[in-house]
Amino acid sequence: MKLLNFILGLDVKIKLAAIAIFLGLTAFIISDPFDNAHAKINVKELALIVQNEVDHVNVDELADWIIKSKTDYRLVDIRTEKEFNEYNIPGSENIPITSLFDGQLARNEKIILYSEGGIHSAQAWFLLKAKDFRNVYMLRGGLEEWKDKILFPKLGVNASDDENARFEIASAISRYFGGTPQIVSGNEITVSVEIPKVAPKIQTPTGSAAGTAKKKKREGC
Amino acid sequence: MNAPFFKFDMFSFDISLVVAFIIGIGFGFALERGGFGSARILASQFYFTDMRVLKVMFSAIVTAMLGVFFFVAFGWLDLSLVYYTDTNMIPQVVGGLILGVGFVVGGYCPGTSCVAAVTGRIDGALYLIGVMAGIFIFGELFPLIENFYSSTDMGRVFLPDYLGMSYGMVVLLVVLMAVGAFAAAEWGERKMAAKKSGVVK
Repeated sequence: MKLLNFILGLDVKIKLAAIAIFLGLTAFIISDPFDNAHAKINVKELALIVQNEVDHVNVDELADWIIKSKTDYRLVDIRTEKEFNEYNIPGSENIPITSLFDGQLARNEKIILYSEGGIHSAQAWFLLKAKDFRNVYMLRGGLEEWKDKILFPKLGVNASDDENARFEIASAISRYFGGTPQIVSGNEITVSVEIPKVAPKIQTPTGSAAGTAKKKKREGC
Repeated sequence: MNAPFFKFDMFSFDISLVVAFIIGIGFGFALERGGFGSARILASQFYFTDMRVLKVMFSAIVTAMLGVFFFVAFGWLDLSLVYYTDTNMIPQVVGGLILGVGFVVGGYCPGTSCVAAVTGRIDGALYLIGVMAGIFIFGELFPLIENFYSSTDMGRVFLPDYLGMSYGMVVLLVVLMAVGAFAAAEWGERKMAAKKSGVVK
């Protein structure tokens, strides 16, 4: 009681100084306010997103964006550096899944993830979502589907006119990305699949981690 | 919900101007209430007769610093999206000295001169005209000083990284520094007041 009265009787500035010192000591104990290792998630919200499939980008959509040189997104290859160097989608950057939280990505960017298939990118998507990244998408089917549909589109021998017409377009896109359209006869698969060498020379304005991103907000004073 | 709201597209650029206007009004109001609309009070800081500037500034720094630290720790604020200027050591030291000299001579810093001007002080209005003229001259001369302006570029530097300490450690040190400065300022003011009354006698 005496102590309480003593504290209440103190000058306001002494009280404020004491609060500041208390908070300062707490900060000292916390030491690092950036916790990159833990997250709290809203499972319901995430489940809804998954169910509604609003978190996917199709390979043909992505191909279209690259051809049109859209720059409002960042295309992130989450495979290892070695795999990235063997082949990657033009305009992509390599951030292995273990380095996702090293500060290269910002929470307000539109991020498209891809991996070999779809599993790793789905897992990375979940991690980023849990860390409150707003616009994260994954490439449906991953690099496998990219190769299948974009680089090496296939046409059966007995294709209809409609299929032929679509194949024409697919072939043009395929050649744009340095791929080879395939014509498959029957069950025989005698196609020579040659992965184009690292990033065919296509002018994409994407590049360094900082440069891409979406239209930069005006800032500074 | 997460800050910074603007970067997360919670409102448009147009609305951001309105928000900036409101915050600016609040800032100016706080400065005026702190007595920063008077060149006499501001200048007396440099003669150590009135330590109000030091106290107000340190209060603001400590409040903002503790707020940011704990907001980040609670996950309410993404600090990586907050804008910071890069550090260009030598040009910024020189710029600081020029601003300091202007502060002592004119009795205001840019922000307080606006406060003084809108409260109807003529010296404040004149100071503001001087600020505008300075901005104009700087802009015109910029090609000549551009090399110097962008020299000794250290990028985005934070004290904890630079000093190799933890963020919490720096926070505690700044708090202690502020409390120490407060105590010293109060002590100094009493001394000065005693000296003054002694002279009068």
